[in-house]
Amino acid sequence: MTEQNYNPEKGYIALLGWSLNAIEAADKFDRKYVVVAPDWAEPYCTEHNIPYLPWNFERLNDRSVEIAQTLQEMGVDVAIPLFEETVEWAGAINSVLMGNPRLFGQAMLLRDKALMKRRAQLGGIRVGIFEEAHDREDVVRFLKRVNQTLLKLDGDPNDPIHLKAFDKAGCLGHRVIRTPDEVDTIPDEEFPVLMESHLDGWEFAVEAWIHNGKIRFLNISEYVTLGYSVFVPATPDLEKYRAEITAQIEKLIKTFDIEFGFVHPEYFVTSDGTMYFGEVAYRPPGFKVFELLERSYGFNAYQGMILAFDPKTTEEEIAAFFPKEVEDAKGYSGCFGVYPRRRVVSRLEIPDETENHEYFESHELTPPVEETVTKRTAFGTHWGLIYFFGEDPYVMRDLLKHQEDLDFYV
Amino acid sequence: MSEHQSASQAPAVNFDKLVQKLDESIAALEESRSFAKAGKLPKLFDTARRVLLQPGGCQAIEERARRLEEAGVYDGTDWAEPAILIPSLTTYSLQSPNADTVVIEAFSELRLLAVARGEYLHPGLSAEQAHNYLTQVLAINLGLLFGMTGEAEREQGKLALISQALVQHVASHIGYEHVIDSLIEEIWRILEQRPIRVTDARRMITQIAICRADTDADLGGAGRGADRLISSLYGPTRVCSEDPGTVVYEQRLETMDSAGLQNEATGFARSMHDTGLVSPYHASFVRFILTDWDSLLSDALGLSSTGRDCLMCYRELVHALIQESVFPETAQGLYGLALLLERGILYQPPVAPALWRQVRLSLCPEARERLQLANGYEPKPSAWLMQGVMNMLGQPLGVGQGNNPTCQSARALSMWAYNDPDYLLQMVAWAARDNEIVMHFEGQPVSSARSASGVASEVTLDLDPVSLVVVPHLDRIYAEMGRLCIGREGDPHRWVNPEFHGWSAGRGFAINVDVATGKLADLEGFIRHFYASYHPYYNGSQPLIHPQPAGVAVTDSAARFIGWHAITILRVTLDPESEMRVYFFNPNNDSGQNWGDGVQVSTSGCGERFGESSLPFEQFTSRLYIYHYDPLERGEPAEVNDDELRRVTEGVYRTWGEDRVPADLLQAQPPRTD
Repeated sequence: MTEQNYNPEKGYIALLGWSLNAIEAADKFDRKYVVVAPDWAEPYCTEHNIPYLPWNFERLNDRSVEIAQTLQEMGVDVAIPLFEETVEWAGAINSVLMGNPRLFGQAMLLRDKALMKRRAQLGGIRVGIFEEAHDREDVVRFLKRVNQTLLKLDGDPNDPIHLKAFDKAGCLGHRVIRTPDEVDTIPDEEFPVLMESHLDGWEFAVEAWIHNGKIRFLNISEYVTLGYSVFVPATPDLEKYRAEITAQIEKLIKTFDIEFGFVHPEYFVTSDGTMYFGEVAYRPPGFKVFELLERSYGFNAYQGMILAFDPKTTEEEIAAFFPKEVEDAKGYSGCFGVYPRRRVVSRLEIPDETENHEYFESHELTPPVEETVTKRTAFGTHWGLIYFFGEDPYVMRDLLKHQEDLDFYV
Repeated sequence: MSEHQSASQAPAVNFDKLVQKLDESIAALEESRSFAKAGKLPKLFDTARRVLLQPGGCQAIEERARRLEEAGVYDGTDWAEPAILIPSLTTYSLQSPNADTVVIEAFSELRLLAVARGEYLHPGLSAEQAHNYLTQVLAINLGLLFGMTGEAEREQGKLALISQALVQHVASHIGYEHVIDSLIEEIWRILEQRPIRVTDARRMITQIAICRADTDADLGGAGRGADRLISSLYGPTRVCSEDPGTVVYEQRLETMDSAGLQNEATGFARSMHDTGLVSPYHASFVRFILTDWDSLLSDALGLSSTGRDCLMCYRELVHALIQESVFPETAQGLYGLALLLERGILYQPPVAPALWRQVRLSLCPEARERLQLANGYEPKPSAWLMQGVMNMLGQPLGVGQGNNPTCQSARALSMWAYNDPDYLLQMVAWAARDNEIVMHFEGQPVSSARSASGVASEVTLDLDPVSLVVVPHLDRIYAEMGRLCIGREGDPHRWVNPEFHGWSAGRGFAINVDVATGKLADLEGFIRHFYASYHPYYNGSQPLIHPQPAGVAVTDSAARFIGWHAITILRVTLDPESEMRVYFFNPNNDSGQNWGDGVQVSTSGCGERFGESSLPFEQFTSRLYIYHYDPLERGEPAEVNDDELRRVTEGVYRTWGEDRVPADLLQAQPPRTD
């Protein structure tokens, strides 16, 4: 099938969703694998000899069991979700493969942001105020109530609230609402949504690999500005909370009953050191944190996922795979998501000071397709990432921050 | 240097580290299986782009040519089969604004160079084939080879540097002799436009002279047409024909009689007016005759009776100008001086005193530094500036913008030199002495010292001395005036152009593009008003009085829109073939551009004066998007006949207006069948 040497002790793993980086990682690893992806991927897989099974990931339906059975017959031990949309599929498939129906319920919990928060609350995890909204009136009511709670008078500027789609990854569908007027700008098709109060604090993300109910590697990703930039490992200022953060993650995996796999939660830490849970995803993070980890530590995070998911992974294998957090990092790597700052742009031009900076690694920006830049609503999609690598976390942080003031599209 | 030169703040690049990164990316590509290769390419291309921007970058890539090909950079592209590549397509890829296109083209050329030099035995291509291919590539990319840049390269930004470095690297290994004939033709074409800045032309001629002197280079029949060009620089007269060096030449002058000197004088003048180039010997000669033989000055400058009259009236001033500024390095000033005298502008009362001020002007350190950076330390900066002033006043249409997006500033300088010379001298004095220019925008002072950045983030040094000193100021003022218009509806040129260029620019303003949507707006009315204001058949045969700023939509040879460009309309009149033409000034360094769809801008042969560009009225109108007029003078929209109107509008729709046609107009027209 491929040119790699496989460990005969192990079975197959299945990758759910199309990610070239994940496929490449699997291909270089010692497990047999199969890619489960929509049929448009078929010609490419045939051309390049990639083991492949066609499947269209729409909503779960009665045919869902077919894919689970097919994979089982192939000798697949576990399905690994690569995208938010395939998390519930992995849950459904793994519940069949492992004979554990609770895995499906767990996946559904991890897919719905409102359910997720409730469950976290039940587990004694601190969360902000949240509520579901089915229409715009719900949003206005919530905005008013949150601000009443904060003892705001009429005319005081409101504290914003955040709106997020229940089941989308990261910043997709994320809006910030400050005034009732802005509520009118939400299109009908975005409802229902989850509304949350705004937490002033330091937001960060965690990537944790879990095997046999234990954390095997825990990374803290520091956001410089949410939606713009992230780097790993975090500065000592944030790493000093590592013990508390680890305790929070342990609480989280207990509450959600997670035995294996990979979680990617987001938290706020307020000025007094209190942690608030934001949300958790059971799939690789966006913003290429996996690539950053590989640059800093040298291990492939997808291969780490394969190990953490695979029930046939041994204790020795996993212990040998992961390095020691922070200590073993060769340096700090970060990335910055570029948004055009001008309304009209004609070409891509990386500023000299960025490109010639000692920390600059590479970029994934492409020339503009259109001249007119669509206005961003809260957290839009960036136009591409820029990668940096260097020795000093503070230089990295300031460098990433500084990029926000530069024009990459002119 | 101005504080806006951001490049100087950027940290220096560690080339070795960069090349190491390049090797890492190549290795990552080599190790990848076929399906993952595409994912490795962006990083490799970007790193290679940065390598190519460094000196020695082409060499580094050439050394890795084989590895790159075997790692699979060309997989799935046309470049995978070098034998089928077509040289003429390289122009497009090398001028592409897309970095990856430029980089892969550079990879491919450098690979072929490695093949041609026998360093890389290629399975699909012989060394001879590669050599032949590269020769053709050089011939059709001559402009890049000698740093002659146009609008397309400016749009390309820093990428143009890669293309230039690449072509120059290839040429230095393949040999210039293969491209010489087309080069000579190109030089003549450029010189016919009489640019002020002739550094590029000089460099090209020198290159040819070197090739011809090199006995190893087999020129065959090539390069014969270069004699006049080479002699104009290196031996225009009998006594210096073998290029003896200025020291020897000056010794020879000491012993010559009056008849001999007279011969020299006319010889120099003939050569200068023939090519627009001035030999350093000419400067030595003029300095020499100034003491005892100044009656020869008029002949040495090749003056007509007008120029001679002017010289007689202002003899002392002319002597001072020569003493202060004419040296072998700045010999080119003599051509400016001759034309300045011919123009008779010294008879305008303020001009001579203003030139006296210029002679004694003490320069601020910033101006000094820019002049020295661009021209070196000999002679002194004020001599360079004086040379520039003489050239600009003598050749107002020879101003070029260099490789800067500052066509408005270049246009303003040209317009003032042409129309308002003492005002230009005032600007030069303020910029060079005070490092500040203050202009007024609707009564509000706008200072170049207190304005933020200009249109250009950095004004490059490839400019004539006056532009070098004044343009950074003008550019900032222009940009600041633009900022003062923020929030106004419509195009800011409406207010900025008259305030910036001076009272003679018409206050009436017409534009055929809706600023908000970018779509065409009232094209027909726009054209009719243009005819009514400018076309002698429709405006009562009134010749244009003052040069007027205008804006054109520049298109490339394939008639694709490149960008908006500032020009000056100078006159509208019948050409020798009795066709109505618009004669205009284009601050671009080379105005003989092909704008596609049959529109080839002419620079000579259609009644143009030196430095003018021209197009038939209709063709010009089909690229025009902004013009000014005097609102008090303009009559009714001209009764342009439908045929003519249709030809112009179709010229717009076929080219830059192709995707700007407003939706309602589309509905009104029958569907086009192409």
